[in-house]
Amino acid sequence: MQITTLSQPSLKTQLRSLFVIARKDWKVFWRYPLNAVSNVFQPIIWITPVYFMGKAFSTNGQATGFAAYSGSGDYMSYILLGTVLTNFILTVFWGMGLALKEDMDAGVLESNWLTPVSRLLILVGRTLTSLLTTTITSLVMLGIGAALFGFKPTGSTLAAFLTAIPMLLGLYGFGFAFAGIVLLMRDANTLIDVGSFLVQGFSGTNFPVKSLPYWLIPVSLMLPLTYGLDAIRGFLLKTNTLMPINIEIIILIVFMFVMLWGGAQIFYRVERRVRKLGTLGQH
Amino acid sequence: MSDFAIEATQLVKKFPARPGTGDKKTEGEAASSPKKKRWQFWKKEPKALFTAVDGVDLQIQRGEIFGLLGPNGAGKSTTIRMLCTLLEPTSGTARVNGFDVVKQANDVRRSLGTLLAGERSIYWKLSGRENLEYFAALYHIPQPIAKKRVEELIERMELKDRANELVEKYSTGMRQRVAIAKALLARPPILLLDEPTLGLDPQAARRLRELIAELKQEGHTILLTTHYMEEADQLSDRIGIIDTGKVIALDTPAGLKRRIEQKEVIKLEVTGWHDEIGEKLKSITGIENLITRQQGEADLWEVNMQAHNSRTAIPRIVEHISGNGTRLVNMNIVKPSLEDVFIHLTGKALRD
Amino acid sequence: METSLTPQSLGQRGLLSDIRAFLAIIRREWTIFIRYPSWIIAMLIWPLIFPMLYILTARALSGPDGSGLAVFMKTTGATDYIGYIIIGTTVWMWQNIVLWDVGFALRQEQMRGTLESNWLSPTWRFSYLLGHTGPQIVSMAIFVLITAIEFGLIFGVRLNGSGWMLALVMLAAIPAIYGLGFAFASLVITVKEANAFVFLIRGLVMIFCGITFPIAILPEWMQAVAKWMPQSYLIHAMRTAAFSNAGVNELLPDLIPLLSFGTFWLVVGYLAFIWMERRARQTGAIGQY
Repeated sequence: MQITTLSQPSLKTQLRSLFVIARKDWKVFWRYPLNAVSNVFQPIIWITPVYFMGKAFSTNGQATGFAAYSGSGDYMSYILLGTVLTNFILTVFWGMGLALKEDMDAGVLESNWLTPVSRLLILVGRTLTSLLTTTITSLVMLGIGAALFGFKPTGSTLAAFLTAIPMLLGLYGFGFAFAGIVLLMRDANTLIDVGSFLVQGFSGTNFPVKSLPYWLIPVSLMLPLTYGLDAIRGFLLKTNTLMPINIEIIILIVFMFVMLWGGAQIFYRVERRVRKLGTLGQH
Repeated sequence: MSDFAIEATQLVKKFPARPGTGDKKTEGEAASSPKKKRWQFWKKEPKALFTAVDGVDLQIQRGEIFGLLGPNGAGKSTTIRMLCTLLEPTSGTARVNGFDVVKQANDVRRSLGTLLAGERSIYWKLSGRENLEYFAALYHIPQPIAKKRVEELIERMELKDRANELVEKYSTGMRQRVAIAKALLARPPILLLDEPTLGLDPQAARRLRELIAELKQEGHTILLTTHYMEEADQLSDRIGIIDTGKVIALDTPAGLKRRIEQKEVIKLEVTGWHDEIGEKLKSITGIENLITRQQGEADLWEVNMQAHNSRTAIPRIVEHISGNGTRLVNMNIVKPSLEDVFIHLTGKALRD
Repeated sequence: METSLTPQSLGQRGLLSDIRAFLAIIRREWTIFIRYPSWIIAMLIWPLIFPMLYILTARALSGPDGSGLAVFMKTTGATDYIGYIIIGTTVWMWQNIVLWDVGFALRQEQMRGTLESNWLSPTWRFSYLLGHTGPQIVSMAIFVLITAIEFGLIFGVRLNGSGWMLALVMLAAIPAIYGLGFAFASLVITVKEANAFVFLIRGLVMIFCGITFPIAILPEWMQAVAKWMPQSYLIHAMRTAAFSNAGVNELLPDLIPLLSFGTFWLVVGYLAFIWMERRARQTGAIGQY
């Protein structure tokens, strides 16, 4: 007797796979409610000491020292925006990097890799959910932060939002490469910890890049995120930018293409290596 | 389109080995090559390799149940992983449903339903139904068809009552059933089942074996790995015995047993066993493949051996055993089972 | 002594054997710790980069001409803002590490499957927790020393007071910090998602204890909360001891609450352990993942 398969690949089913993967991640994310809540409150907890420290440096609510660097005395709005970016950085480093690894440990990675869907597509699907859930938690966090510490955007929200897009896409492209590398390593935690911390530190999330000792500034200038955050702050808070905003935007767009393509390449290469070495499913 | 459901030709898989665990040959190479000077850091030293699969040939017919039998570490899992495209062969080729496992990997995946690592292969934070709907989409099953298929399988696998509960709350048996349903979703012509009854209670295992027989009736080709003899014997049309990376025998269960038909198996139960007695017994003509196994913690040993002629061998056996604190508690002469075939071929027990 | 297999067991309970077991646990923990190469990062790099985040922010806040710094010095009474901050961050890291280390010590064993084997041996069970603190305290001491050296070399942070007083203060904090860890360890065994609790506790320390700012700057209600947290007293006492020539008398207003809270948490930690142990014996939860 002949068996007829039910599998009929088409563009429609490829798109549906993407959607289904995103939906699965969404469901699983919210089924760890403590984790979701933590995502919202952790950033607030971390910037509270900064808020009070800032008060120790301010007279009449204005941090004049800070204003000399950034062009605005409103350091909390400055930092809140940085914290939103930190959220995305952490999600990409921990979420993307560790997501595949956790799947591997749990045993479901093999199940996913046995399906006739491209493995990069699987990664892209997870990216979509990640982008969405992180945006949601960031906005909630921003809302709470605004209520607690004050958030006064005086500039264009639309421009800031549009700038965020290539920056985030580029960041996630980097995430592809990172996910691949994490797959190969047995104990990636330290790499992720230190990596995410350094990126946060050098991209200006907590303090203006200009205030760094002069010999460290070049490191910051090499990170595309620095320009992205700078441009967003420039648009929203009318702070001084490192370079003319237009140039920063061009840098971001180039970064986005390079990272998306490069990240995919690295991921493919690594994935091939995993298939040769058979580290899948074993840890 | 190939005639065979699965065809493997000289499949080889080598892994980089940790020092001391590699094959003797490559370790020898690595050790005897002249030590490079410290400043020659760019020259690569030959790496020691461990060969998990050493030239496996398989030809599985459409519609048959093929059992791959072998102890742990024999290369069963590695072979299966190469066939389902999770692992790339070092050399050799394999075709599944006519597609090459390396060059046409996606087509292979579309043609296969796999059961690997049972309960760990599904999402615990999703319900049974959600798991099936998810994977159905990944197998490119158009949505309206997928919905019906998922319901059909939930019904068949007796998961209806709890299909909407999270898998983390299911028993091991239920999780296994979800994993099997997942393998059947796209109605694939070929099924790969890796140790499907491992960890199941006897009743669940029996139900699963019935299912496998049904699936064969429905036209599926099934490649099954197991280390349960009786299961392989009962279900398979043909069996391949694999040991240290090679297929050492391939035949129907009856055919395999016929190989040692002229032999009989003598099973003894003994107390006060000494290894010297084993040596003496082995020296009796016609006695081969002596295996001893201690029964738990007690001073009771099970001794199996194969004999060409039990009638002449028995008096000599009794002679050697009596005395010196050794006592024969029980003796049985039986027809060879598949396990005995295995012992005959490899000199070791399956459950080592 | 005869060693024939008579039912009289070879293991004899007594204080000496408990101490020996205690030392064995310490040695085992230390051996395992140094076998993971990432300890280098944990011990050398984190002490430096974690406070840097706040220090660099402080630099930014002081401005290119350092004008903000004058304001800071007036508000806090501290002349060395780097020293001021690293004391706060070090205390936070200490509590954080203890929560993870000691807090998860039992859980880790449970996951490894070795908890049962340990539980079956006839040693006083609380020594497992006490045993964990041994190497922990040593590594924390090294951690603090490395922080002091690194910041001393790179930023010229200098002790203005007595090193002994500083050490005394930290010694006095041990009961509070580790008591909290013990209470936590028992909680962790019974609760599944204990991570959230670590985040909560260390979050509280971060918000209320003045790690980078003086408590006086907090609104009234927050200052009231800070009074109930031993880490606030620890940070204040350490700053006093490190940067002014304080003797025991000047430190007493901080040391007394610190030790009182310490006693409280040690008792709570011990009681929590007893409770958890009894419950585990009833429900058989010890062997479960």
